[in-house]
Amino acid sequence: MSNQPNTSRRTFFKVVGLASGALAAGYYFTHSEPLPPLVQTDDTLTPNSMVQLTDNNELLFYCPRDEMGQGVTTGLATIIGEELDVNPSQIRVKFSGIHEDYNNPEFGFQGTGGSTSIKAHYTQLRQLAANFRALLIESAVIDLDVAKAELKTDNGQVLYGNKAFPYSQFIATAKTLEIPQHAKLKSATEFKYIGFDRPRSDALEKSNGTAMYAIDADLEGLAYAAVARCPVIGGTVASFDAEKARMSSGVFDIVQIETGIAVVANRYWDAKKAVKLIDIEWNLPELGKVGSDDIRRDYDQAMEAEDGDSSQELGDLDIGFAESKVAIDSNYWVPFLSHSPLEPMNAVVHIQGDKAEAWAGHQGAGGVAGLVARNSDVPVENVTVHSTFAGGSFGRRAFLSHVAEATQVAVATKRPIKLIWSREEDTQNGWFRPASLMRIKAGVSASGDIKAWHAKRVGGNIMPDTVANALPVLMPRAPQFAVDMAESAARSIFSNFTTEHASIEGLFEDYDVPNRKVNHVTVEHGLPLAFWRSVGHSFTAFAKEVAMDELAAKIGMNEVRFRLRNMKANPRLASTLEMVDRRVTELGSEQGRQWGFAAHSSFNSYVSEAAEVSIESGRIRVHRVVCALDCGRVINPDNVVSQMEGSIMFGLTAALYGNLELENGAIKQSNFHDYPILRMNEAPAVEVLLTESSEAPTGVGEPGLPPLAPAVANAVFKLTGDRLRELPLTLAS
Amino acid sequence: MIEFKLNGASVKTQDSPDTPLLWVIRDTFKLTGSKFGCGAGLCGACTMHVDGQPTRTCILPIAAIAGKEITTIEGIGTADNMHPLQEQWVAQSVPQCGYCQSGQIMSAASLLDQNPMPTEQDVEAYMAGNICRCGCYPRIKSAILAAAQKLADQDAESAKEASNVEPA
Repeated sequence: MSNQPNTSRRTFFKVVGLASGALAAGYYFTHSEPLPPLVQTDDTLTPNSMVQLTDNNELLFYCPRDEMGQGVTTGLATIIGEELDVNPSQIRVKFSGIHEDYNNPEFGFQGTGGSTSIKAHYTQLRQLAANFRALLIESAVIDLDVAKAELKTDNGQVLYGNKAFPYSQFIATAKTLEIPQHAKLKSATEFKYIGFDRPRSDALEKSNGTAMYAIDADLEGLAYAAVARCPVIGGTVASFDAEKARMSSGVFDIVQIETGIAVVANRYWDAKKAVKLIDIEWNLPELGKVGSDDIRRDYDQAMEAEDGDSSQELGDLDIGFAESKVAIDSNYWVPFLSHSPLEPMNAVVHIQGDKAEAWAGHQGAGGVAGLVARNSDVPVENVTVHSTFAGGSFGRRAFLSHVAEATQVAVATKRPIKLIWSREEDTQNGWFRPASLMRIKAGVSASGDIKAWHAKRVGGNIMPDTVANALPVLMPRAPQFAVDMAESAARSIFSNFTTEHASIEGLFEDYDVPNRKVNHVTVEHGLPLAFWRSVGHSFTAFAKEVAMDELAAKIGMNEVRFRLRNMKANPRLASTLEMVDRRVTELGSEQGRQWGFAAHSSFNSYVSEAAEVSIESGRIRVHRVVCALDCGRVINPDNVVSQMEGSIMFGLTAALYGNLELENGAIKQSNFHDYPILRMNEAPAVEVLLTESSEAPTGVGEPGLPPLAPAVANAVFKLTGDRLRELPLTLAS
Repeated sequence: MIEFKLNGASVKTQDSPDTPLLWVIRDTFKLTGSKFGCGAGLCGACTMHVDGQPTRTCILPIAAIAGKEITTIEGIGTADNMHPLQEQWVAQSVPQCGYCQSGQIMSAASLLDQNPMPTEQDVEAYMAGNICRCGCYPRIKSAILAAAQKLADQDAESAKEASNVEPA
């Protein structure tokens, strides 16, 4: 049964296998001896790890997934409330502890990402809540001595005739009964909460300053740490002189850690000031010789000279091109990007004897515990992780080197430590969205059918860095050489033997193509690479959807008709494109503006977008975006709309601005003045259309992003005749 | 020793005068609703009111605020007594990650103080200093406009009541 704890043990290789798909986060971690996730008390009823009923009829939900802003706490509580007949607004949501009961069923470990949370937990939580409701009914049958058929439930109460009894009244009897395992689920026509708008459960605390983030954690005797780190990622300290820093006001201690020199002070500001007074000689890694031009040159050369690994082959490309009347052969470029969540990386770690506590925003609490254990003498099962709201993540908080740093400082100073990265550190020391050079050679017959599609990508892969990051957590007690060997094996696998799916996902799937091939050449320069909102789709959709516009223009067809003609095997995506097209026709276009279109499926959801664009004072201005989404059954329509709005803004920042450049291995951009984020005066109006669907629910955190940049680029082509094939979009002068 | 007013109460601090107000409010006075986002006055997450003016406190040394009145997000409304902007923030499910929202609300409150019936363009221009990485801009804008309308309706209502109770 899906509500049973998952007791299987995953191996490291299983994790590698899982993570090579499109998941966007996480670590596997489990206690060797599972602890009861929730303590049973006399006056509460705890039929499973997720929910607890108190004697004053309050329902607590121990949310297994992390809240980074995507609305998962509200969404999952809605699913539970539906089958349990409790108004979700009345459910108190808490973050769960660490236990395999809280694993993400899609991943097999306790991680949040890949737009999986609703999809992964929908059936599991419904069944678990339905079982709970059945238990309460059975208890009421006994306590009230009435027939089951005469009982109903609503809003946390058992109803009998015109009498209402709070669920909590049946706790004592329920404790004596076996929990039903296969209670009948509601039919969709009975839904009262799923599919209806519901205010976010965290909106109030996020509007009055009381919402708790890791950076807000406070402890008796807390000391603050800031780190002087190498401008080139991976550089190590050769020597340093911290005498001036040591004399600076409020400074307690100077500590050398793996990534640099940490200053520990009475106040964060004291630490921050003192960091600037440290002189450090660095041992630079190979990356220290690399600039942006080198990377682009290496990618260009690989694109011309190497075939790399080929996959996804269908039919015969030569035949396909022979049957084509027109063809394109275009290269597309996207840069490295930073996630830049507004809450910079930070962690609070407090070690006392053989126990530790840690506060962090994350995409998997096990990763926090594992890193604290690996960097201290505390056994992993003695690490308590206090999960907080994350001030944005977008994939970034799957990578927790700041937790390791805080632990190293806490161990060295024997103080509780709050370690905070500056915005500059956050921009320059990330795991980054990989830059990518993509090439699409494609041919179309005289009747407008795609006959050949040969896609190729050059760039780095996410998986080796993910494995490298996860290994110390997976192997908290293994010696470093074993970790290094495993990491090196992972790098070799993805560089030499197989194409990582996340490097090519989205480059070939959406259209009907009889003759197809995808080539991949791995070229890496040592920048750590990561999941970044929508992962591979964040770059592949740009190449694919601009290429589709090029093909449509070349064969002389309307770009929407051309897409629909070649999307027969993808009806759900086609229907979103038709919705967008109809709406754009209704809206019409203002003088001097054009609509550009793009369609892309990702994370099992289907999204089409149209962007209305003009050129104002030599700059691209996006006025309106129409978005249509099919994500199966919608749990909370308003939250889905909100995720589409956010993804569109996130995608527009990448389309217009995002660009990290390297000089001597160091990232040149540092803060929001030279790594701009879209602001309100640049934000388009967004209209979101949702399909009516009874399919299983799928992801909404990421799929809204990929179509945005190509939709804007395609509108610019209509306005100017210039085909923009590089991000960020730059107008020809 | 620097003295100032914090949400109506007189306070003093021994923190060094070059410390930005944000860190004094967060670390010394333990009011953590105001956030650190950029440390350079670029994102607005740290916005507080200094003598009524919206101010980027991550770059404002406390030497500059002696004797002034500071209002933080904690000072403009509570769960039981929400500012009209906060009511709209909740009603329209504005926040996603929520980290920028204290700063957004403090800027928006200043906007409504200065311009009680802003146009959409007024809102966009005034709020351009506050970054929301989650991209909640459409909702922030709509919540501000709704709060302005509600305040205007309340004012009209109380003006009407006031005129009704005038002695005959």
